[in-house]
Amino acid sequence: MKMKKNFNGFDFLQNNLVPLMFIIICVICYPLSGFSPSYLLNEIVTRMGRNIFLILSLLIPIMAGMGLNFGMTLGAMAGQIALIFVTDWQIWGIPGVVLAMLLSIPLSALLGLMCGKLMNMAKGREMILGYMVNYFVTGLYQLVVLFLMGSIIPIIHASVRLPRGFGIRTTVNLSNMRQCLDNQWAILYKGVKIPILTFVIIGLLCLFIIWFRRTKLGQDMRAVGQDMDVARAAGINVDRTRIISIIISTVLAGFGQIIYLQNIGNFPTCTAHSQIGMFCIAALLVGGASVEKASIGNVFLGVILFHTMFIVAPKAGGAITGNAMIGEYFRVFVSYGVITLALIMYEIKKRRARSQGGQLLAQAQKEGGVQA
Amino acid sequence: MDKAERQNWFSQLINTYGLPRLIITGFLLFLFIMAPITGSDLPTQFTNVFNRFSWNAVLVLAMVPMIHSGCGLNFGIPLGVLAGLLGGTLAIEMGFTGPMSFVVAILMATPFAILFGGGYGALLNRIKGGEMMVATYVGFSAVSFMCIMWLMIPYKNPSIVMAYTGVGLRNVFALDKFYANVLSDFLKIDLNPIGINLVIPTGSLLFIALLAVGIWAFFHTKTGTAMTAVGSNPAFARASGINVDRVRMLSVILSTWLGAVGVLVYQQGFGFAQLYTAPYNLTMPAVAAILIGGASVNKASIGNVIIGTILFQGLVTMTPTVITALIHTDVSEVIRIIVSNGMVVYALTRKTEGAK
Amino acid sequence: MKKKTLLIRLAVLVLCVALGATMMVIGRGHTIYLDNKTLEDYQGQEYKAFERVNITVDGEDEVIKLKKRERDMATCIGQSFHMTLEITEKKGDEPRVEEIDLKLPYNMDGIIINLPAYLAGLPEEAWMTEFIPAPEPEEPDEEEPDIGDEFDMGGDLGLEGDAIA
Repeated sequence: MKMKKNFNGFDFLQNNLVPLMFIIICVICYPLSGFSPSYLLNEIVTRMGRNIFLILSLLIPIMAGMGLNFGMTLGAMAGQIALIFVTDWQIWGIPGVVLAMLLSIPLSALLGLMCGKLMNMAKGREMILGYMVNYFVTGLYQLVVLFLMGSIIPIIHASVRLPRGFGIRTTVNLSNMRQCLDNQWAILYKGVKIPILTFVIIGLLCLFIIWFRRTKLGQDMRAVGQDMDVARAAGINVDRTRIISIIISTVLAGFGQIIYLQNIGNFPTCTAHSQIGMFCIAALLVGGASVEKASIGNVFLGVILFHTMFIVAPKAGGAITGNAMIGEYFRVFVSYGVITLALIMYEIKKRRARSQGGQLLAQAQKEGGVQA
Repeated sequence: MDKAERQNWFSQLINTYGLPRLIITGFLLFLFIMAPITGSDLPTQFTNVFNRFSWNAVLVLAMVPMIHSGCGLNFGIPLGVLAGLLGGTLAIEMGFTGPMSFVVAILMATPFAILFGGGYGALLNRIKGGEMMVATYVGFSAVSFMCIMWLMIPYKNPSIVMAYTGVGLRNVFALDKFYANVLSDFLKIDLNPIGINLVIPTGSLLFIALLAVGIWAFFHTKTGTAMTAVGSNPAFARASGINVDRVRMLSVILSTWLGAVGVLVYQQGFGFAQLYTAPYNLTMPAVAAILIGGASVNKASIGNVIIGTILFQGLVTMTPTVITALIHTDVSEVIRIIVSNGMVVYALTRKTEGAK
Repeated sequence: MKKKTLLIRLAVLVLCVALGATMMVIGRGHTIYLDNKTLEDYQGQEYKAFERVNITVDGEDEVIKLKKRERDMATCIGQSFHMTLEITEKKGDEPRVEEIDLKLPYNMDGIIINLPAYLAGLPEEAWMTEFIPAPEPEEPDEEEPDIGDEFDMGGDLGLEGDAIA
């Protein structure tokens, strides 16, 4: 009995290694950084508002056993194209955000469909495929944004176009919808701005995810995630279910990117999406998620820990080593390191499970043979 | 040849040669035909292609051993690159100049490559089947870790440390005094005096040929055939008494070492050393090149390397001049991104047998 | 069953399109330039600028104060624009208050409204003109984008290829 308890404690430590590590890093770095509590809290709340929606979009593919959806960047690109149109049509404020979200849906769905189909052609390699697809689509996106917009796709305003007559300027200015969601009903409490509407939207998405898990489709996805062959035997259309999960994720990522960019207020046309996948995935993993299991709680914890680290690390690094660049490289190293660690742990576990499965099968056959 | 037969012949061509490769080859031929029409000088273009080929071929070659042993595309090539950078900077720090610095750089890089490759190989042996994704992030982590190290390692040589503070290495430094062009100037064929703008970096090409022949010969030794066996059918290899993990580890070390040599060759051609985040940028061109050359995720040959590097680098050097002259817009960057990444996506969606 | 799902899908599609169309109407933003300038020689008549006008625009906190020959701007989302004017016509006059509702044309981004002409009850073409921004200089200063969460390390993670200096 006692041994079992010890085992559980060890298990807990192993499963929560990454969050614990991050808590320690944050606790050590915070006093060294010299930030005031209200500044830090304000920063964290702001970053929660703009990032959580994006990270939540990763949950559904994990449920369907497709791993971390590196292809979420496709949704982000769709969101950016929608934002360019809305800026050009001069639709401002919250209506502009809503319109951008609506416009992004068909684009995201199309890209998601493509990504899902490709992933079905590369089962077991979904993550690296999603990762490469987003670079591939980045090329297509740049083709559209830099060469087709303004020449084939009509762009009305010269303020959006490049002076050469086609292509979008290096920066798209969203000043007319800057923080329009965040400022709606916002509460200022002791120097901390709480964007109520944004949090309400995030809350609604959480409810949607919880509801979705209980629907027939959600159950199917979990079954597919557990074991594709068993699910297929049970009459579930595996390929279709997987594609749907990627489409939902991509559409949500598109919404997420729009929310993220309305907070920032402008974006670099060609590169705004490039790091989104990396840091959303890092944040989710920091929250204690793994490649095959992630919950809404992981998302919230992850955002808080990861962004605290990101805010305090450069200053703390500067204080320790006397060189601010070291702190900056350090935090990038830690984010990559966390993803690497999670991927390694996942692969080892998968391999162990496979060999255990093989042993069980062999044993069962042996016993069956004895009986016969 | 009747219609059905012709169709059959065509589909066979696609099957053996691959549709994307066919398109790229066709596109490159189109570029070569269009080049004189748009007024660009063909010999100059050839010179550029030769040069770029000589910079990149060894890095592409570094993909081969790992693909051969079934470890997939080597997205972890930054590890080898880092070993090469360490070797190069240490050789300079120790005061070597000229061709000697290149030899010392390779010698200094070797232990690091063995160390990094060994650790990396041991890791990959524990995660068979998921190598590529992990390799990508191992590469990222290693590069960002070395970013810290470039600042912390107490280098002293004034021609490579930061100008003001004297602490930490520079982002980019010129190699003129060290190993720039040491290979390409050896036996260089320069036709400029007789009025043709053609320069062939013979030394670099010979060096590449030497390495390629070495690898080719290695694959025909006992260990080499064992490596091929592990890659094509690991279960059979294990049954015939090959130590699979050891062979895989060896292939990773070999790949990493070739990556280290590859970056040094690249730098001697380019004339500058780039540190910090630059190693990231060498991965994709190498991966794309070998795939364009006809390799798949678990099959690659020296021929793939040579054809792929010529095709890819040809594309990279020719598109800016020719396409810009044709449509007066520089879409080359975008074409390069679409082609190289599209090629990788295509390769990943191909059905591959065994290799798990 | 099949027919029902199809109907639901169609309804959702129609709803989305309708929502989008609504957003395009109610979200259209305009910049309004308010002029307190003398309108000279409109059909032989002259409409003098006011001594001073204080303008309160719906949804904006600050009161716009215009002296003679001045211009200021306000923004408006949607096509109906409401403002309250407090006009002092000549020096020493008691200010009078006027409420104004305007319908803005959908296609104009910038709209110039000449207040003296409007308040004299002239037809629309006399007081409303489109604001056309001056053609930009060759290469305008591009504003630097905000960095967002500062994840960029400067490297393009392999997108860049080998950069030739």
